Amino acid sequence: MLQVKRFNRLYHYWSSWSLKQRVTFAVQLFAILGILCLPVISIAALVLTLAVLNMTLGIRRFYVKVLTFLFDYATKIKKDKEIAIEADFVSMGPSTPHSELHFADSSIDSAIELSPLDAMKKEDDAAQSSRISRASSQSDIQFRFSDILDYTRQGLEAIVDDEVTKRFTSADEMAVWNLLTRTQQQHELFSLRVTILWFLGFLIRYFILFPFRLCLFFLAMFWMMGAILFLKYLPISKGKLRFGFYINIVLHRILSRVFSAIITFHNTEHRAKCGSICVANHTSPIDVIILSTDNGFSMIGQKHGGFFGLVQRSLSQTANHIWFERSETKDRHMVAEKMREHIKNPTNLPILIFPEGTCINNTSVMMFKKGCFEIDEAPIYPVAIKYDNRFGDAFWNSSKHQLVQYLILMMTSWAIVVDVYYLPPMRIQPNELSTDFARRVKAAIAKQGGFVDLEWDGGLKRSLPKADFREEEQRKFYEMLKTE
Amino acid sequence: MGSNASIMLQQEDLQNICQQTGFTVKQVQRLYSRFKALDKRDCGYLTREDLQCIPEVNINPLGERLIDVIMDDYGEHNKINFKQFIFLLAKFRQGKFKSLITEYNTRESKLRFLFDMYDRNHDLKIDRSELLDVLKMMVGGNIHDDQIATIADHTIGELDKDGDRSITFEEFCKTLERIDADEKMSMKFLS
Repeated sequence: MLQVKRFNRLYHYWSSWSLKQRVTFAVQLFAILGILCLPVISIAALVLTLAVLNMTLGIRRFYVKVLTFLFDYATKIKKDKEIAIEADFVSMGPSTPHSELHFADSSIDSAIELSPLDAMKKEDDAAQSSRISRASSQSDIQFRFSDILDYTRQGLEAIVDDEVTKRFTSADEMAVWNLLTRTQQQHELFSLRVTILWFLGFLIRYFILFPFRLCLFFLAMFWMMGAILFLKYLPISKGKLRFGFYINIVLHRILSRVFSAIITFHNTEHRAKCGSICVANHTSPIDVIILSTDNGFSMIGQKHGGFFGLVQRSLSQTANHIWFERSETKDRHMVAEKMREHIKNPTNLPILIFPEGTCINNTSVMMFKKGCFEIDEAPIYPVAIKYDNRFGDAFWNSSKHQLVQYLILMMTSWAIVVDVYYLPPMRIQPNELSTDFARRVKAAIAKQGGFVDLEWDGGLKRSLPKADFREEEQRKFYEMLKTE
Repeated sequence: MGSNASIMLQQEDLQNICQQTGFTVKQVQRLYSRFKALDKRDCGYLTREDLQCIPEVNINPLGERLIDVIMDDYGEHNKINFKQFIFLLAKFRQGKFKSLITEYNTRESKLRFLFDMYDRNHDLKIDRSELLDVLKMMVGGNIHDDQIATIADHTIGELDKDGDRSITFEEFCKTLERIDADEKMSMKFLS
């Protein structure tokens, strides 16, 4: 009753105002709205200034600290629940103590290089001792029924766990749950507190962080468009590259804020210089953005269509990149030629290459393709990129997600925390093969980043191994049969 | 967002599996994760292609034969679901202490698996042609066919007690028990 009265009173006032009073009121209303929008404009200006000056307010680091605390709390609740449930189960044997959370992969991984051929060699000693009573002459080979034992067991072990397939999926077990259902393990433990936390987190990520990041993304796009227009009409051509360099860095700094990336660079004295090749392990398309916040690079790759193609064309305005037609990528000589040409020009930026050829999930480095290691005019600057999975898994599983889907997932993660290690430059030695040089560089990156060093080809993500490998195994078995 | 697989491991199933196979909860969950990782199309079962995709199985000379045994003897219609998968793997649990042995991981079941690697027509005998097949797979083109035949004859001759040119399961077990084959076939399952 009271409210209806009030409403009637207000309406009474409004209808008693003259036109002038109504206009004044409307103007005041819009002015207030404009002032409220000011934060958006001012934040945009702030981000731009920070990007240009390469400063940071430390907000993201603080945010990460808060998140760590929250995750530990949520995991503790889950852990307590798990212990309660396991205590209900009847355990059969004295084999394993329960509720011991440790990183699944840590017990399997080691820094030792595993080659595809070594992988089969594991337990040959026992087999050797059983061959003592073999025939003496080489042509008199004996086969025992038990000879299938090792291969059978190795096959079964590979089915239970192998070194390769787990590199192409997101590392699934985490000691601390980060309140993202995409990293949820399969056992659904219902806990009211944790679910509430998750729901709050969901709201924050999708309705507060995501729109904010989207705005920053548009800011980056505006910057890019403005920069391209600026460069187009710039009279001096020499300064163009200088400007391009800075424009690129600022663009990537804004983009890194889009993903809430917290990047720590180590050993910046080994930053790649002009006329060199920079080599890094590949985990996601964001690698490029992260590396470009600190240095300018020339990209090399094949021309894409669609969104990516647009990106490529606009980036080409700011620096000399090397883009290939799809048909030309097979021609290794031409690729090498173009790279050599690029390196000869001292004003050209270092070439950024990911020799693995595909995205790996940041637990290992796989075979480096030898193409760029054959160019001996330029030093190689290796870079190790190590992501911290706790705040968002940066790995792009291209068979699972499309690029745009992946980017949205990234923008709705908590943050991307990454350590970038610059390594001292390496050159090919006089009598060294390019494959050995590639292996050496890979070992250096693996050591720095704490990755497992594998000789397996990243191409195994999509294709089967060559028949040569199996034939090699057959040959080795034959050799073993021959010897005593 | 949202969980990946459409099949979740139910608590009841989990308890059943643990009791019957002797695996701990953590081991089963880990194997379940592995199963899901191999099941790329998320259909709840593994096919031959899924197993062949594992590079270390692919380059194993006996890889194909192993997959044959798994699919034909433990799966059905060229598919193997998680229950079948885990009961298969339960065979290879270590049976060092009496308390760890269930009906699945007995010494006999391990030896039987090895026997089945040879005996594909399931007549409970390994005859000359079956042995030849396995030998050919293992040495490939490195030995001539006639030499392979000689080797096969020699191997059978050594063990064949009743002169029927084929090896029964008992004869097979005798020769393998000498080298503790079942111990060697045991796998460590991490939890």
